[in-house]
Amino acid sequence: MVSTVRPADHRVPPARRGPAGRQRGPGAGRQREGLAAYVFLSPWLLGLMLITAVPMLLSLYLSFTNYDVLTPLSEVEWVGGANYRRMFTADPSYWHSVQVTVTFALIAVPLKLAAALGVALLLNRVFRGVGLFRGLFYLPSLLGGSVALAIVWVSMFNRDGAFNSLLAVFGVEGAPWVNDPRWALETLMLLAIWQFGAPMVIFLAGLKQVPVELYEAASVDGAGAWRQFVNVTLPMLSPVIFFNLVLETINGFQGFTSAFVLSNGTGGPVDSTLMYTLNLYIKGFVELDMGYASAMAWVFLLTIGLITVGLFSTGRIWVHYSDAGEQ
Amino acid sequence: MHPATTITAGARTTRDHRTSPGPTRRRLLAAALAVPLVLGAAACGDDAGSGDSGKVELSIFWWGADSRAALTEQALNLYSRKHPDVTFKTTWQANQGYFDKLATLTAGGNAPDIFQIDDNFLTEYAARNVTLDLTPYAGDKRLDLSRFPESLWKYGVVDGKLAGVAFGENTQGLVYNKTLLDKHKLPAPTTGMSWADHIAWAEKVSQTAKVPGTQDPSADYKAFWVWLRQQGKDLYADKALGFTEQDVTAWFQLWKGARDRGATPTADVIHEGNQTDISKQLVVTGKAATSWVWANQMPELKKNTDSELGVVAYPGDPSAQWARASMYLSVFRGSPHRDTAVDVINFLANDPEAGRILGTDRGLPSNLDIRKAVSESVTDPAMKLSIQVENELGATFGPSPQVPLKGHSKVRAELIKAAEEVQYGRRTPAQGAAAFVTAARAAIG
Repeated sequence: MVSTVRPADHRVPPARRGPAGRQRGPGAGRQREGLAAYVFLSPWLLGLMLITAVPMLLSLYLSFTNYDVLTPLSEVEWVGGANYRRMFTADPSYWHSVQVTVTFALIAVPLKLAAALGVALLLNRVFRGVGLFRGLFYLPSLLGGSVALAIVWVSMFNRDGAFNSLLAVFGVEGAPWVNDPRWALETLMLLAIWQFGAPMVIFLAGLKQVPVELYEAASVDGAGAWRQFVNVTLPMLSPVIFFNLVLETINGFQGFTSAFVLSNGTGGPVDSTLMYTLNLYIKGFVELDMGYASAMAWVFLLTIGLITVGLFSTGRIWVHYSDAGEQ
Repeated sequence: MHPATTITAGARTTRDHRTSPGPTRRRLLAAALAVPLVLGAAACGDDAGSGDSGKVELSIFWWGADSRAALTEQALNLYSRKHPDVTFKTTWQANQGYFDKLATLTAGGNAPDIFQIDDNFLTEYAARNVTLDLTPYAGDKRLDLSRFPESLWKYGVVDGKLAGVAFGENTQGLVYNKTLLDKHKLPAPTTGMSWADHIAWAEKVSQTAKVPGTQDPSADYKAFWVWLRQQGKDLYADKALGFTEQDVTAWFQLWKGARDRGATPTADVIHEGNQTDISKQLVVTGKAATSWVWANQMPELKKNTDSELGVVAYPGDPSAQWARASMYLSVFRGSPHRDTAVDVINFLANDPEAGRILGTDRGLPSNLDIRKAVSESVTDPAMKLSIQVENELGATFGPSPQVPLKGHSKVRAELIKAAEEVQYGRRTPAQGAAAFVTAARAAIG
């Protein structure tokens, strides 16, 4: 292995070697390091190959077959693009789940980010017990996509749940929320928004990085709190906002656990919480239509990829990297 | 570093970096790809016959509660005591997620030697040749079905093959809250009551007890099924649906009427009760006075409520009900120990001592001799009652319908969806029926 690396390594001009190369001297030492790197990486690399890459490629193949889980792989039939055609032309549940997922992401993601930023701004001040509050606000995120949390949510938001008891105090009669097709998805959104802790912590870290001088200069120029927020905080925070936006958008599209638990794995009531991933799961593991589910997964992957690329291209317009100017 | 802009320099560095260790990386890739192939090939070498000698470990997988696990393991230990060469690797879990796991195990070629299955999935597995055809074993009495009711063991036959051994018999049961009815001096429902009478009775309960009289079963395939059989129809006929759109419309209409009269809870509560989970049934959550369940679920229902429960047949002519196999035990066709696996099932079903241990946990024992012995020794009052009702109904049972078709679980899900659309008032009964029939046809097609 070492011998194959050597000639290749000579192609790299010494000037490009970087600091490590210069300190250690040219040649063999670096190759050994490279090899060592692969050895140390190998557990991860093997994991990636066996657990991620191979199954992914297999699922790409399966998406062109009628694989039904129970039939051995050697007997599956190649059906060409039939799964993809069915998805786009003959499966109303597919488009319904797309609509549910897009609605969910479009509403829950911006609100979650706004909540995270708002609370981060409040917690960015110095006051007694701020650490405790940060911890408390982060807590729901620690529980993450947990099943227990979704179960609690279901019991809070049904007809005799805690939320309706609270509304009753104000004389308002609440809906059955999770059991009402008009409100079930909104209840899920609320659960997602409530778990704003992770982006909040990142926002907090970002806020700490904004140089105090900028605020001082702005207030000397007569800018009030709102102007400071719009003209200093937001631009300085834009890389962090961008990061959170990309991450949360991807998360939002992939929402599964809460919808699964809330609807007992059905996407109900009457498909109101049939998120894309839940629909995919039902197709693959309940209806055993794994070829079709694989096709759905690939379209999903490509769509999320495109959305991410789209976000990155808009990022060029509104994301402000302060260090770029300094270089 | 190149003096030009950082971006181009960075890009170039990356490209160089990519080309230099190329061959090594490609080799690594090839090696990584080769590993699973080699492992896969090695796994294919295992080609043991079914004739067993020496030590055998059988894997067995079922769904159920702790109590079922304790009883089953006790019965399997008894087998091991009699056949010291045979040991068991038992795996069990809750019903939710069970069939995901079974499908995944099967896909990996690791299906358990013996597994529990029900009529929702039996055809799926049998049609794809996952289950061993037990007909030859039944033929030479290695699997003795002679003491089984004929209609019961035949409910395990799919496309002429015996795909599973009926392990427990049950039938539809309408369970009511006896404590609640007594408190309000209301009469209990009775077997043979017409559907109209049942709804009228439920309306009276709603008015008097201030608890909705009956769960709305329009989303419940087993209630729909009984109702269809009472009109000479069926859920399936050969490879097609055994009913028409008009039938579904009439069924939805019947229950729309009941809802309008206040005989049932509101749509959101009906939705809660449409879950199969026993602890969510409205009769135990106190949100309705009756629930539509299987008679053998009585003891489990009783565990979830302080109220006393009663059970009768579904409304209408009770002879539309049949001896349904509450579940089956099947053998994996690819098992290296098929003969032993069948012998274990035969033991569990027919050995008096094993039967005494297993009791009625999976339904009434299939073997009639064991059923008699167990019925006489049962002490749990809820179980006693369900046995009594099943024995009464057993006298009038009609012939069993065919085992549901492939796609049955999808048909069930579509019925729930269509019925709920009607319950929430988003569709008329006719629209809901049309949507359901279209979807159900696609599901079994």
